[in-house]
Amino acid sequence: MAGGQERILRRRIKSVQATRKITKAMELIAASQISRSQARIGANRPYRHGMQRIVIEAALGDPAAAKKLLATPEHVETAIVLVITGDRGLSGAYNSSVLRAGERLVKKLRGEGTNVRLFAVGKKAAGFFRFRGMEVEYSFVGFADRPTFGDARSVAGTIAAPFIDGEAQQVLLVSTRFVSAGSQVVEVEQLLPLSMPDAVIDDTPKPLKGYTEFEPEVKDLLFYLAPRALESEIFSALLEGAASFHTSQQRAMAAATDNADDLGQNLSRIMNRARQDSITTEIMEIVSGAEALRSGK
Amino acid sequence: MATMKVEIVTPEAALWAGEATALIARSSDGEFTILPQHTATVGDIVPGVVRVETGEGEFSFAVHGGYFQVGPDVDEGVTRATVLAGVAEKTSEIDVARAQAAKEAAEAELATSRGEPGEQATQLLAQAALERAELRLRAASR
Repeated sequence: MAGGQERILRRRIKSVQATRKITKAMELIAASQISRSQARIGANRPYRHGMQRIVIEAALGDPAAAKKLLATPEHVETAIVLVITGDRGLSGAYNSSVLRAGERLVKKLRGEGTNVRLFAVGKKAAGFFRFRGMEVEYSFVGFADRPTFGDARSVAGTIAAPFIDGEAQQVLLVSTRFVSAGSQVVEVEQLLPLSMPDAVIDDTPKPLKGYTEFEPEVKDLLFYLAPRALESEIFSALLEGAASFHTSQQRAMAAATDNADDLGQNLSRIMNRARQDSITTEIMEIVSGAEALRSGK
Repeated sequence: MATMKVEIVTPEAALWAGEATALIARSSDGEFTILPQHTATVGDIVPGVVRVETGEGEFSFAVHGGYFQVGPDVDEGVTRATVLAGVAEKTSEIDVARAQAAKEAAEAELATSRGEPGEQATQLLAQAALERAELRLRAASR
């Protein structure tokens, strides 16, 4: 019956509108988080740059120690891969593009005969990798949206431990870099040994540019400085990941809201036509009924 | 009077940046003062009070451990000193009541959990909290 179809359509329109309300709300929340997380990246920048300058200065002070600590080893038996994803979905391609890059990296390393130990930030990685037969050793969960420096510290401590013990020779990071509001890029970086400009590791004697004093001795300083530098790099990666997540979610939810608008419009058009049809049929029935009665007289 | 650029930064925010005449802090080698035209130096800062003297008076900060670097700025002839700290706060913004409460809580924690195995982690955390609270109180009472 025509009325039945109308009721079904009405129900579908209602559900589309309810979904639209949710996606719109998520869009607005994500949009408000974008500027906040962007501001945090800006606030972190002086610390990050200062830390990089200090490490370079200290590495120049003792190139021999720096080479041991900072240069890429010739043979990597075990590599640690840290993948930074989000805790939540509904964020467009944010999680999947990091995860796919991570998967490619793991496959490439394994192809070269390297053992890989996987660590992840965010809830989304464990399931993804398990499905592909790669076990995530530990997932850090609960702070991907709003990371604090303490979170970065605990991540740094966990992934640096095997490196310090000599169980792993390299630590790699797969994360999303927040280039600008319009562009976020997935990048693979080497975290440990700390990546340094080549000029620093080059141990050919250079003419002394200037003399830098160290308090305490540069060897001890470099030893304690390295973990701090790692924390700083991870923290900035977490901040940029969070900002990329919110940007990506805002974009995805805006598209979903537009979609719901289109869908609702189409459905109400169909419903109006169905209602018009049923009214026309009803009038036809009444008229023909009346005609039949009159001609039967 | 000669000045230098000083910045005190944490991962979450730049606490302070400006022109200063002296920077006074303590490294693991002892207390030191950085003046304009100081030679390039890199070093650590042990938990304590870091003071910055400027033309408009003195600012002090409770720094819970960190590093510093002194070097020439991009501007010719200007010295730049950077203090990097994981955790630090302006002394003027320390909440004394809260620090006092944190100190008492940490002391209570240490008193009740002494000696038992398996509690080493909580004891270390309480010890660290106690040290932070004491430094805040010390900084605020100057």
